[in-house]
Amino acid sequence: MHAIEIQNLTKFFNTRKVLDNLSLNIEKGQTCVIIGRSGCGKSVLLKHIEGILKPDSGKIIINGQDITKLTNNEMDKIRLKMGMVFQGGALFDSMTVGENVGFNLIEHNHVSNKELLEKVESALCVVGLCGIENLTPSEISGGMKKRVALARAICIEPEIIFYDEPTTGVDPITADSINELIKTMHDKLKVTSIVVTHDMKSAYSIADKIAMMYQGKIIAEGTPQEIQNTTHPVVHQFINGLAKGPITEALDHD
Amino acid sequence: MINFLIDIGQKLLALLSFVGGLANLAGQAFYWALVGPYKRRSIFDQMKKVGVDSMPIVLLTAFFIGVIMALQIAYMMQRLGSEMYIASIVALSLVRELGPIITALVVAGRVGAAITAEIGSMQVTEQIDALETLASNPIRYLVVPRLLALSLMLPLLTIYADIIGIFGGYLICVHKLGISSSMYLHITFDALLLKDLFTGLFKTVFFGMIIALVSCYEGFNVEGGAEGVGRATTKSVVTTFILIIAADCFFTALFYFAMP
Amino acid sequence: MLFGKTKLELKVGIFVFTGLVILGTFILLIGDFKAWASGRRINFLFDFINGVKVGAPVRFSGVDVGQVKEINFIFNPQENKTKVQITGWIRREVKVPIDSTVWINTLGLLGEKYVEIIPGKDYAHLVTDQPITGEEPIATHEIAKLAKNIASDIDESIVKIKNKEGTIGKLLYDDAIYNDLEALVADLRQHPWKLFRKAKEKPVTKQ
Repeated sequence: MHAIEIQNLTKFFNTRKVLDNLSLNIEKGQTCVIIGRSGCGKSVLLKHIEGILKPDSGKIIINGQDITKLTNNEMDKIRLKMGMVFQGGALFDSMTVGENVGFNLIEHNHVSNKELLEKVESALCVVGLCGIENLTPSEISGGMKKRVALARAICIEPEIIFYDEPTTGVDPITADSINELIKTMHDKLKVTSIVVTHDMKSAYSIADKIAMMYQGKIIAEGTPQEIQNTTHPVVHQFINGLAKGPITEALDHD
Repeated sequence: MINFLIDIGQKLLALLSFVGGLANLAGQAFYWALVGPYKRRSIFDQMKKVGVDSMPIVLLTAFFIGVIMALQIAYMMQRLGSEMYIASIVALSLVRELGPIITALVVAGRVGAAITAEIGSMQVTEQIDALETLASNPIRYLVVPRLLALSLMLPLLTIYADIIGIFGGYLICVHKLGISSSMYLHITFDALLLKDLFTGLFKTVFFGMIIALVSCYEGFNVEGGAEGVGRATTKSVVTTFILIIAADCFFTALFYFAMP
Repeated sequence: MLFGKTKLELKVGIFVFTGLVILGTFILLIGDFKAWASGRRINFLFDFINGVKVGAPVRFSGVDVGQVKEINFIFNPQENKTKVQITGWIRREVKVPIDSTVWINTLGLLGEKYVEIIPGKDYAHLVTDQPITGEEPIATHEIAKLAKNIASDIDESIVKIKNKEGTIGKLLYDDAIYNDLEALVADLRQHPWKLFRKAKEKPVTKQ
């Protein structure tokens, strides 16, 4: 059984078709990297899988349940097994780092204060940020925010983690340490991961499978090796970062 | 001509979707407010922001309004030779009308704008989405505490405003117009009825709800970064002001005809 | 909850508590709790009360001592007349002599009506439960009627004058007197001595 199965997903924003009959399967414990240009609908796809947006048609099956037909309460139960690392971290700035990381435990798993503090501390140590519980998000750097967001996602020991552009806007060293973290999650905790990015270096280093998204569809999927050796002109232009090619030509025609 | 009609049509559609969206938000917020359980800490947090932190500015405004009312009424009443009535007119207009409306407008400008800006920037930085992915309903988590805090704190703030406004009028009348202190107080409390106090406080509960719902609604609907937050804040304050005054008009008419 | 701020509850608590205390005081001050204070009933009987309302003040020697509680109609079979009984509530320590004068007075510019009691001298007999009969205020329509009578009298006189009736009418409109007077003056100018003669004649005529 697939961990996540997306079937014929279609979504319109007003009259613009953002997702066009998109299908994608992700196996348990696999790290799937979705690549594509900015604004091609990658984040929208993630929000559908998280249940924040509802599709106009199509199914998303997670662990055998079609989440597009669930009520909010049922969806919340599934969400407790999923973690999401947002692009900018999306830390709550009214709370301290510790409260952010422990948010889910405080809100949903009525654990004792001591256990809570231990879990928060250990999650922060996993991302290499021991002892910053009492700082506020405004006091830490952008790269640290991403790592705290990762700590928040892993604090509840999820089965699936989503990463929305985890390496965008951080320095190369931090980017590499984030890649290491994603790999650690994959190797040690066996979590299923979906990473949305357009950083090809990061994609090659962490992916079990790469899917290329273009004009609301998955146009190619395969192992990093297969993608690198592709003959598909669109994928070729994207992964090599060429200014000339079918993608830019299509834009010129519009 | 066609463009003009299209323009009107779009404005109408925008208005209707605003009303619909607000009603939807209100429905969900009231549902969660009734169902509970409540986030005690965030309610207290909002109560402090709405009540305790707004107090200095509300008191200052109410004090000045009391002084102004006393002077303006004194100007009229001295022509008629009945300074006696200054106290009762100041007390009645403050308790029935000015106390509630001044408090509501000050809080709308201060707290309402802050709520829109806060929720708006949370929306822009994906914190609202983050709340959802952390299995916390944003309406329950963000709107309900604000709704409860505003509708509980606004009547309390109004009581403070009433008292301080009357005190402002008292200072002017006793120290500048030579009305005796005990007479001023006597006339003040003689003129007021319990009905005046309670109709004044009753409507502030609704003003609080208007502020909370409109500010949150505008915050959730922010589009387009920092500029969008700014636009939404302006829109939220303008909309709350209009709605508060319209609601005030409605309640005043209702009380006038229902309990003369 | 996790890294708590303890002063929050305290601040909100103080705010709410103070607000509620002020509200309570406010309600006690403006509420109609004077009825609990020591006081007693006093009744007045009027034929006409000129619009006094429940809640209107009752004044004794010009001091507010209470207010009107009830206004009822009472049929008096002896006089075969319906009367208005005002029941007031006044402070207990106010002793109202039985020969006090009571009437409905008007306060200030805005015309609020109140019950005025001017104390009499008979402090041996105080008012108890029997109603004091109030002096009737002059109803507005009575004043109007009086004014109308006066006006119509004046009107009548003027009509008579215009019709050259009566002494004033003749004086104003009949030129015979004027002609006579003029003739007399002219005559006197020509014959001033006539004056003397007349003076001489007068005692004669008296005789």
